[in-house]
Amino acid sequence: MSIDIYWRIGTHGDQPSLRRRVTSRGEWAPVVPGSLAPGVRDGRRDGYSYVEHMADVARASESSGFVGGLLPSFPFTDDPWATAAALARETTTYRFMIAYQPGFLHPVQAARMSATLQRATGGRVVYNIISGGGGPAQLWWGDRVDHDDRYARTSEFLDVLKGVWGGGPFDYEGRFYRVEGAGLPEPLARQPFPEIYFSGSSKAAIEAAGRHADYYLSWLEPFPDLAAKFDQVRAHSTAIGRAPRFAVRIDVLARDTEEAAWDEVRRGWEHVDPSALTGPDGDSVGWLRSQSFVSWPVRHHRELEVSPNVWGGFHLLRGGPAFGLVGSYQQVAERLDELIGIGVDAFILAGVPHLEEAYRVGEEVLPLLKGRAHGRASGTAGPGRESSVSM
Amino acid sequence: MAASPEFLVTVPTRGDGREPGRQDRGDWRPDARRPLPSFVTDPRAGASRPSDHLAQVGRAAEIATVGGALVPFDPEGEEALVVAAGLLRQSRHLRVVAGFHPGVATPVYAAKFSASLQRFAEGRLGWQLDVDLDPAVARSQGDFLTGADRYARAEEFLTVAKGVWHEEGYTHEGRFYQVLAGGFQSPNSGLPFPRVHLGGTAPEALALSARHADVHLFTAGEDVAAGVAALSERAAAEGREVAYGLRVPVLAREDEDEAWAGVRGLWALAGAPGDPPGPDPRTGLWPGFATIGGSTPLGLVGSYETVAAGIRGYLDQGVTTFVLEARPAVEETYRLGERLLPLFAKEIERVH
Repeated sequence: MSIDIYWRIGTHGDQPSLRRRVTSRGEWAPVVPGSLAPGVRDGRRDGYSYVEHMADVARASESSGFVGGLLPSFPFTDDPWATAAALARETTTYRFMIAYQPGFLHPVQAARMSATLQRATGGRVVYNIISGGGGPAQLWWGDRVDHDDRYARTSEFLDVLKGVWGGGPFDYEGRFYRVEGAGLPEPLARQPFPEIYFSGSSKAAIEAAGRHADYYLSWLEPFPDLAAKFDQVRAHSTAIGRAPRFAVRIDVLARDTEEAAWDEVRRGWEHVDPSALTGPDGDSVGWLRSQSFVSWPVRHHRELEVSPNVWGGFHLLRGGPAFGLVGSYQQVAERLDELIGIGVDAFILAGVPHLEEAYRVGEEVLPLLKGRAHGRASGTAGPGRESSVSM
Repeated sequence: MAASPEFLVTVPTRGDGREPGRQDRGDWRPDARRPLPSFVTDPRAGASRPSDHLAQVGRAAEIATVGGALVPFDPEGEEALVVAAGLLRQSRHLRVVAGFHPGVATPVYAAKFSASLQRFAEGRLGWQLDVDLDPAVARSQGDFLTGADRYARAEEFLTVAKGVWHEEGYTHEGRFYQVLAGGFQSPNSGLPFPRVHLGGTAPEALALSARHADVHLFTAGEDVAAGVAALSERAAAEGREVAYGLRVPVLAREDEDEAWAGVRGLWALAGAPGDPPGPDPRTGLWPGFATIGGSTPLGLVGSYETVAAGIRGYLDQGVTTFVLEARPAVEETYRLGERLLPLFAKEIERVH
């Protein structure tokens, strides 16, 4: 089985480096000379919007070896469905991994949108199903279903989505959804069903993942913790006769040498105010977990390196999860091989700035991967299958 | 003095074709596509995508200087918001109206999706909200509301969508929806809300339009004069003004003979018995469009001048938006842009 390596398309602007948290790409900061998409020409906005830059990131990562890109969804971002639909015809092989929360869309509508997008892209839609970071944001979205119920709803949502997908008529009566005589029209029903990447670290999430995930997706964590989490999912899935694959979402800061990589972190760290840390909030179990791997407070940036090249301070340099890899191209490739060794089947990589780093990581790191046979497999790895890397 | 008309074309989301029911364009019925003889080089295999034809229709409307395109809600067709996103991305001027019903998403999510499209396309997205679905269709979409409740839900849907769109910290506790400390922030705030198109002639429909419609769309054959009078009064009571539109199939040709020869040809191809009926002498509308592939029975047939005169009749009643429907979409859109729209050049110029 080959390894699928995705990139990420930031859906809320981008900064030109990790050195300073200055958003110059997109409209998330004032549009001034030096801003891009929109830019300033003759003293006025040039009429472009951030989607132009997202198209550039998609094309750059498509051409440098990634199978597709994750489109994240938060209250402040652009919408992944809208972005994928806009960019569908500007790429040829690129898969759009659409992050969404079941419950915001009706499953019949999600099926219709997905099938139309599958037709527009030639089957390049992938789902990243999130059941909610929760907290205050959940009611921002107008969603009053609480944490554990959201996973039950996700299960129903996917039951209905899959039920109508092949055509109809499909009847369903659940706690959250009810349909009668539902089904996609025949030309839409001929489409392949999107692969499902399923996130969530709580017990409820892991149970739902067991039923529905093609890939169980986690943020990067220290490798033994990640392996233990995979074991839990595997155990739960095996019990119900399923075998999900595993994916990890990883920020990468790779340079020619290890020194150059850490120097980049150091330059960003100079602008971080550790006292500004507010600590974890929301009901995301994943975020609470990620904060537990570090003993706060921290003074020096290398104190956040919990094991070689695994650094837990990315959230201080840009919005997003904490853990990622920092090191030379060779070191980062070796760590990715190790992850393949503990059972990772797919990666979602990201780097800031997304456009330039897509070229860098695609051209410099991915060709160094050796696959499962060379990863120093930990005790939790599955059978030692040889892996080839799907570019 | 008649106002300036705006023209939209209707995007075929269930395939398209030269003849009624052929639908061999847009990969809807691939079996209906006539293969080339085997000795003729045909490099097309696998090279086209189902969305190619929809993109071609959008480009045709853009190039033909048509103001916009309506992608209707059709449970038996492609999903309109996704199609609209693609058409907006590939055009510079075209306003694209996407049809959906209020049960497809939470109002927050519909607004969020739309805010992205407004950003990507400089505010050219419109909504057409279908409230009065056939009950069986509604149930197949997971919607079991009936009667006046549907309008109450649509009202709340639009209220919440506009609330989060325009107001940071927006909170709402209603019958159907709840939002706490919602509302979009920059750069998703401050955008034009999608132009809202609604329809229907029931009192609940008019009440909803009075409060929320930017454009109230009639279907050809409905009593437009009465609808305009009733809705204008209700809208004025709300302190609002509503623009009026008409969805109308057209078959316009160089002269009357050619138009009616076209009708007879399509009538025969559709396998309909006998001769096609003539136009209604009172309204001038021809009642046979449903038979030749139209989405509604009544429409305008005739020379460009005749069809223009029919449209002027509606302009005189206060209708300014014309959502034309003609198949095959690309060729007919070019025809409308080159031959019908110029007949309104004076009205359009006067305003711009």
